[in-house]
Amino acid sequence: MIDQDEDPKFEQWLKDAAKSYHSPLPTPREEMWKRIEEARRNKQVIEIRPWMRWALAAAAVLVIGIGIGRWTAHPRAVNAPVVASADSVRSDVAYQVAAQQYLTRTEVLLTDFRAQSARGRLDPQFVAAARDLLTTTRLMLDSPAANDPRLQPLLEDLELVLAQITQLPAEPGRKNEMDWINQGLNQRSVLTRLRTATPAIPAAPAPVRAQGVS
Amino acid sequence: MDETQLIARVRAGDSAAERALYDAHVDRVYRLAFRLAGDDTLAQDFTQETFIRAFDRLGSFRGDAALSTWLHAITTTVVLNGLRKMKRFRQREADIDDAQSVGVTRREAEPDLKTRLKKAIDALPEGYRTVFVMHDVEGYTHEEIGAALGVETGTSKAQLSRARAKLRVALSDFAGEWVP
Repeated sequence: MIDQDEDPKFEQWLKDAAKSYHSPLPTPREEMWKRIEEARRNKQVIEIRPWMRWALAAAAVLVIGIGIGRWTAHPRAVNAPVVASADSVRSDVAYQVAAQQYLTRTEVLLTDFRAQSARGRLDPQFVAAARDLLTTTRLMLDSPAANDPRLQPLLEDLELVLAQITQLPAEPGRKNEMDWINQGLNQRSVLTRLRTATPAIPAAPAPVRAQGVS
Repeated sequence: MDETQLIARVRAGDSAAERALYDAHVDRVYRLAFRLAGDDTLAQDFTQETFIRAFDRLGSFRGDAALSTWLHAITTTVVLNGLRKMKRFRQREADIDDAQSVGVTRREAEPDLKTRLKKAIDALPEGYRTVFVMHDVEGYTHEEIGAALGVETGTSKAQLSRARAKLRVALSDFAGEWVP
């Protein structure tokens, strides 16, 4: 079936035309290397150690109760926070989930911030999500988790950035302020540090296999 | 210095060797990340993450495949995971990509081939798009793609054929340009 569809003329035309698809800029070698070095110096692999657990338990209540509800498929469930049972909150799984959710959602939000800031305007849902994450970040900063020398600088940077985002006025035309926040994100390599602090990713990508192609 | 020696020096903590390894591979990693992400900032993020993970995991690199193959496997995993996270987050937004929506749009509305082609490629299912970009745009072989994505070479070929078939339908009103 596939062979019958082959058309060398079309394939060559398509290849030529597709050269313009997402045409890369010159590689910013030095800029990226600088950030890689900095991120590796400050490398923070979040280990869920026993002394951190009670703090993450508090974060779990907040993240699970408010964050997940607002950010996933049931946005209207936000008004009914889920109260985790004491047993589940104590479990390792809850801590792992809470930490992973927090780091991943913060990473996604900040990545999306840069995309939205290019348009010069943030939607209200986005600001509300940033506010929730700011609350969670402060909760973690008030806990013994902030005594971890690897975690504390990242949490402090996240608090600063999230606070700046939540204070942005709603009206459009604030691109300068957003650019300023983006500069801070870049200078402190916040996203790179955040990405490398998230748990390891699977070894092989699933979606290609999931296409159902044998 | 050959690649094996370079890797040994990186494992020993030689920062000059780390930089040499980075210099040798960063262009291709960044190009692939950019082609798949379509955004310079994201491409930089993904490239940085790829090298950070690579340096962290170099101890587990057994040398069964070329280092470039191993690096490109990390790159595609990092990029596809990153884009998936972004896509989930943006599902509320109206302009989210719809993987099922490769279709013929009216040429009158979008006369520019470049724009139409971009939309058509963006609308491909993720697996098709990844293989198409790696093979037809960046020039990877099916063997390299298979190794990077963890799929059989035949699967890569099939994905490419299907991607091309979808693009042919999506761009059918440009047929005059390839049919003399």
